Amino acid sequence: MKRFLGILLSLLLVCSAFSFASAEGADVPAFDSFELGKDYTDLTAKIKWLTHRTDLVDNGAITQYVAEFNKVYPNITVEVEGITDFAQESLIRLTGSDDWGDVMGIPAVELSELSTYFAPYGTLEAMKDTYNFIDNKQFEGVVYGVPTTGNANGIVYNKAVFAAAGITELPKTPDQFIAALQAIKDKTDAIPLYTNYAAGWTMGAWDSYLPASVGDADFSNNNFLHAKDPFSATTDGTGPYAVYKILYDATAKGLIEDDYTTTDWEGCKPMINNGQIGCMVLGSWAFSQMRDAVGGEHPEDVGYMPFPVTAPDGKQYAPSGADYCYGINCKVDASRQTAAMVFVKWMTYESNFAYNEGGIPIVKTGNYPDLYSSFGDCDFLVQNVAAEGEDSLKDEMNAESTLMIDNGGNEKVQKIVEHGFNGDMSFDDIMNSWNELWSDAQESLGVAVR
Amino acid sequence: MSSNSGAAALKESGSFRAWLIKPNVQKWLVIITFAIVPVILLLLFIYYPIGKMVEFSLYNMSYTKVKGFVGLKNYIDIFAKPELFQTFRVSLYYMVGAIVQIALALYFATILSFKTKFTGVYKAAMFFPYLVNGIALGFIFKFFYTRGYVLDTVLTAFGIPLESLPYWLRDQSINNWSLVATSLWKYMGQNMVLFSGAIMSVDPTLYEAASIDGANKWHQFRYIILPSISTVLTLNVILSITGSLSAFEPPYVITSMGGNGTATYFIKMHETAHTLHKVGLASAMAVVLITIIILCTIIQKLVFKYAFRNSGTDSAKTKMKRKQFSKGVN
Repeated sequence: MKRFLGILLSLLLVCSAFSFASAEGADVPAFDSFELGKDYTDLTAKIKWLTHRTDLVDNGAITQYVAEFNKVYPNITVEVEGITDFAQESLIRLTGSDDWGDVMGIPAVELSELSTYFAPYGTLEAMKDTYNFIDNKQFEGVVYGVPTTGNANGIVYNKAVFAAAGITELPKTPDQFIAALQAIKDKTDAIPLYTNYAAGWTMGAWDSYLPASVGDADFSNNNFLHAKDPFSATTDGTGPYAVYKILYDATAKGLIEDDYTTTDWEGCKPMINNGQIGCMVLGSWAFSQMRDAVGGEHPEDVGYMPFPVTAPDGKQYAPSGADYCYGINCKVDASRQTAAMVFVKWMTYESNFAYNEGGIPIVKTGNYPDLYSSFGDCDFLVQNVAAEGEDSLKDEMNAESTLMIDNGGNEKVQKIVEHGFNGDMSFDDIMNSWNELWSDAQESLGVAVR
Repeated sequence: MSSNSGAAALKESGSFRAWLIKPNVQKWLVIITFAIVPVILLLLFIYYPIGKMVEFSLYNMSYTKVKGFVGLKNYIDIFAKPELFQTFRVSLYYMVGAIVQIALALYFATILSFKTKFTGVYKAAMFFPYLVNGIALGFIFKFFYTRGYVLDTVLTAFGIPLESLPYWLRDQSINNWSLVATSLWKYMGQNMVLFSGAIMSVDPTLYEAASIDGANKWHQFRYIILPSISTVLTLNVILSITGSLSAFEPPYVITSMGGNGTATYFIKMHETAHTLHKVGLASAMAVVLITIIILCTIIQKLVFKYAFRNSGTDSAKTKMKRKQFSKGVN
């Protein structure tokens, strides 16, 4: 309550103090129209950056970035504020005041509303060949957000454990993967696959591997919603069926932790680092946390590999997407907007931020961090946005079917583990029940099935 | 003109004052002024939201969007979807737990009401768990039940081999009992304090008189303590049973939102509202829960009325006797 009052008061103060500040915006340069280190080096401005990376604020990494930036642009002062509850808090700040600051990770603002709050970087047409994931925050061909970094979905694994189990080539299909887990169980003391069942959200994360099993950029937000029985059995190790079957089989064959109900998220980090865990199914953002875990003695052993499914076209894919995108406040005066533009460009080109965070580079010519070294012949696959007029269809299908794919549907994946362990429901029955839920939802929402 | 109207106003205000200081008006005025604040608060924060909830339950809606009026469809869904209504089966575990809990609380309260050393220490020790936040308690018990941790260590110290111990949370045949035990551990102390408060109000001379008549401790409990605390007992049973219908914290924290067959009705309701964003259905579930709780309370009231009919008249008799006795002494 106190905090809420505090926010309210500060919002009121800010509103009253700056209600006369008006947007000029006329001469803010486009993202690609100036050169770093040459233009605007004498610009004097004071800008504020709101970030969700409180960990980097706390350990001083962000101060380091700003200090580097100030070597080139000494007169632009950057104030950084880390916000713990970023997703909600940033929305309150954004809508509550015109002068919330200058740069923030764009929260859940509808795409059509982007231009109300954020300054344009340039056209999608001009930028899409230079930058990855640049269409993440665009509306009608204008880009309003440049990603901070990109994430890919694969598997965190311990190289030493895999080597000790005699696995020389990383598994590419579910069958090879289960065989590898079995080898780990037989030849080492490590837990082959740590599910993180108890944490909950780590189970829901299995949904993000579905695109890899079909190799279709129009899957998650389009074709999947219109598919007839998308969970139907496949025999060639492709499709959503194959993704979840890995979990069921691993559980049924005793290749997961002994007591899955009491897994410990913080505890798993040093465990995989020290070789007590073979692998975990987590996004690339988790890699640096596992590598740098407190109490971990072998950071060099932590590796990252593509998810072991092969799409029907015979290729392996890593589903990937943008992390938070920098948005620039379009309601403050032009000099501040320019300074913010310079800062975002510097973060994108010069800071090495994406590389340091183990992310996919935003500038297409940038370096991929070492963790992607095993992604050689694996393509990064970005999902296209929903077709026009179907923006909320996925949310509706999720709620109606109660499966909540990509949206906190932890329980259904936990159930796979439970049934796999207790053997009281076959995997095909589970998938059939999901198909039924999906068809019923399609029927009650009147979704065209193709 | 002006003086006239002034006089009229004066006269009017005079009659108003006269009306105001009438005893009957004064009484009502006092009642209204004292009651208006709590009544407004009650209406605004209890009955208005409940009314809204009943209204929501008739719609198909999410937090941000009302998708249309559906009438009683949500209620039909609750009873038609077995996975929702079946969760009441889990509540049965908590009801059994509640009965054990009350029996234990009554036992300890009675023992501590007789001459015991360190009564205060025991009471404090047993009441303490109630003061611990439910979420924190959940985390404690999560580690308590983890394979090879606290409980297993203690049991192996007593010579039970680890292999013969069950997985307290993984094994679906006992994990609900594990959770019920934590809730019992937390609320038993509170029940006990309520009971011992009631027992303390029993006139100690009755025990003396009873023991002179040759009554042992069991007789004292059965014929003196139990009838005197029947009101508190009824209250405790109602609170525990309704509480067990809405059990939430143990499965939410310890078994990660009711995983592994431990989801109670309350957990399902939470999930329906906050994960699935089916606010209409969740509201209907809440209305059903309220109805069931009210029904349970009425049934219990009736049962207790019947069960304590004999002892109730007993206690009335003893009360009368006591009155006569004390009058006689005076």
